[in-house]
Amino acid sequence: MRLNRAAAIGLLLSALAYGAAACGNDKGSSAGTTTSAGAAAAPTGGTLIVRSSLPLQGAQRPQTTDMVNGIKLALKEAGDKAGPFTVKYLSKDDSSAQAGTWTAENVSANARAAAQDDKTVAVIGEFNSGASAISIPILSDAKLPQISPANTAVGLTSNEPGAEPGTPDKYYPSGFRNYVRIVPKDTIQGAALATIMKKDGCQKVAMANDKEVYGAGLARNIEISAKTQSLNIIFNEGIDPKAPNYRSLASRAKSQGADCFVYSGITSNNGVQIYKDFEAALPNAKLYGPDGVAESGFFDPKEGGIPADVAKKVKLTVATLSADSYGEAGKKFFDDFAKEYGDKNPNPYSIYGYEAMSLALDAIERSKTGKREDIVKALFATKDRDSPLGKYSIDKNGDTTLTDYGVYKVEDGQQVFLETVKAQT
Amino acid sequence: MAATSLPAAQPRALRAVRSFASRYGLIGVLLVMPVAFGIHDLQTEGDLSRLGNNLVDGLSNGSIWALVAIGYTLVYGIVELINFAHGEVFMLGSFVSAGFFGTIGLTAATGVPGLVAGLFLTLLVSMIALGVLNVMIERVAYRPLRNAPKLAPLITAVGFSFILQNVGLLWRGGSQQGIDDLINSQHELINFAGLSITHGDMLAIAVTIPLVLAMTAFISRSRLGKAMRATAQDPDAARLMGINVDTTISATFLLGGMLAGAAGLIYALYQTTIWYFQGFTAGLIAFTAAVMGGIGNIRGAVLGGLIIGGIQQISDNRIGSEWTPAIVFAYLVLIMVFKPSGLLGEQTREAG
Repeated sequence: MRLNRAAAIGLLLSALAYGAAACGNDKGSSAGTTTSAGAAAAPTGGTLIVRSSLPLQGAQRPQTTDMVNGIKLALKEAGDKAGPFTVKYLSKDDSSAQAGTWTAENVSANARAAAQDDKTVAVIGEFNSGASAISIPILSDAKLPQISPANTAVGLTSNEPGAEPGTPDKYYPSGFRNYVRIVPKDTIQGAALATIMKKDGCQKVAMANDKEVYGAGLARNIEISAKTQSLNIIFNEGIDPKAPNYRSLASRAKSQGADCFVYSGITSNNGVQIYKDFEAALPNAKLYGPDGVAESGFFDPKEGGIPADVAKKVKLTVATLSADSYGEAGKKFFDDFAKEYGDKNPNPYSIYGYEAMSLALDAIERSKTGKREDIVKALFATKDRDSPLGKYSIDKNGDTTLTDYGVYKVEDGQQVFLETVKAQT
Repeated sequence: MAATSLPAAQPRALRAVRSFASRYGLIGVLLVMPVAFGIHDLQTEGDLSRLGNNLVDGLSNGSIWALVAIGYTLVYGIVELINFAHGEVFMLGSFVSAGFFGTIGLTAATGVPGLVAGLFLTLLVSMIALGVLNVMIERVAYRPLRNAPKLAPLITAVGFSFILQNVGLLWRGGSQQGIDDLINSQHELINFAGLSITHGDMLAIAVTIPLVLAMTAFISRSRLGKAMRATAQDPDAARLMGINVDTTISATFLLGGMLAGAAGLIYALYQTTIWYFQGFTAGLIAFTAAVMGGIGNIRGAVLGGLIIGGIQQISDNRIGSEWTPAIVFAYLVLIMVFKPSGLLGEQTREAG
């Protein structure tokens, strides 16, 4: 009898814990719109939903917060309308506080929820390439259009050099291509990094990557581009992101005479520590990083980033340019953003959030029907679109035709635009 | 019957090989990496400075593991409990230290006397705070379960480990946090024949050695230390001899927590990056070190910590950091195969 009572209490407790966890999961979805899942009304006229799935917690939070603001601004300026349809926006979080970055569970849960909600006609996301590798197959099966505002891994869209074997087909098991992105892929970023390292006079480059889809893929792209530009990469080492430090790896670089270091990965995978260790071992080396570490959690010591004396040696490549490098539409975006949110110097990713939503609305309007498959067709048919990012098209793989990368340095915990690099691919 | 007669049937030569392997195999296993790389260095670079630097780094990293490992081994020795929360106590040691020296205003710009005084104060605060925390954890989660099945305190220990991890998570968030590099950790202090010793190495070794010496002296000489050893051997007999077993166990947790607090401070100053998950990795490594050295044996824990530190650094430097955990645990397996009770072995109640 006692045992039964204990079992009952145990069950009750686990039920409560489960309930609490379920509540916790909803924390990120704060965009004011809710939807009754499974409401099977066919989207003719009426209301459609565009969702985003981005890491709203952890090191990427400053970028994704501004990105969500950009998305909201685009929708507001369009008057919540795309052609005859009223569009509502639902922001979902693909990260957890524990991980400090995206988690596979949250990514797939968000993707499934979107796939199963008949009113959802487009998803903006993910932020991380590794996360998209999980959500694309789910969304592709549901024929649900997906627009990534930040993914750069080559294999998500093509099997060009740098892609893992078997990609991109393994991401589209049903063969339906639903995914487009508005940032240039890492073929371009890898070339951009190799180009600036070459230009800065690097002789021997030590490289580390975080072994994720994004980090390992970009590292391959850097290697490929370095080869064509005869830049010497002495090693490309996959790191254990949970290691306490990388001193011995750094001293290996030192003994091999490295004069430059590049880390191909994201901040959350111990990015801060690896730069500190390489800077200490190679005090005269130049340090480089990709967009994966272009965030305040990396370069602002007040937010736990690298110290100022390390930061001043770092150059970062990001697919965003300075506000004045963009045309009229770009300037207008930054003015509008400042007016709406009082932030004159938003994170560069805000413009990608804005453009992702604008493109989604445009595709919904061009689809005429508001049906998922027609919106996908409209997305792939995007041609010479005028946008704040400049004029671009979406190619047959779903990639943007934009290729410009911005090079940034770090000053007083801020990233400061240096130049636009035309990558030698 | 057949099984018992087998050894007698073994040829003498085979027996000789076996006894040779069991006597010297362990030493062989431990020396294989340094010797192989040493020869390689002599051939390619003409000196042993690279190997020497690996070992210096290993010594300083390993001494942090050693301090944490002592906490595991002390507690296991006395109550035969694997205190899974210990790694998290160590993590909170880093957090308390970083919080405290931030509060009293220590920065990289503080002068040397101020820094030494401030850090000494931080060390005291961290040791006391974490010692007390560890005692409280014992009081709440382990003492009531003293006579419960062994699995019960094991699970409460795992539970506390998650609770403390979440405290860390709420305190400083989910990503690694860079903190002020107060001691200029990676600045070279001495360069002797190509051997580079940094501020961080010096700090780790200079704090660990006196602490370990004090700890062993305390346990072998003091009354409480003797009571701890008596309780470890046989709690019931110890109680009959008038030893207050509960107080003795609390004292053990206090000591373990204090060492974890010290290790937390050293870690924070040495790595200059802290995060809520560091306790998990460190706890696993330190626990491995304790087992490798012979759980229950303090000198064994220190030795295990230093050996793992050395293996990690050699592997990071030569083989690749992605292989390091695999190599560390391969070593553990080999050592256990040759010597199941660990390097220095300990007669625990279970074994003896």
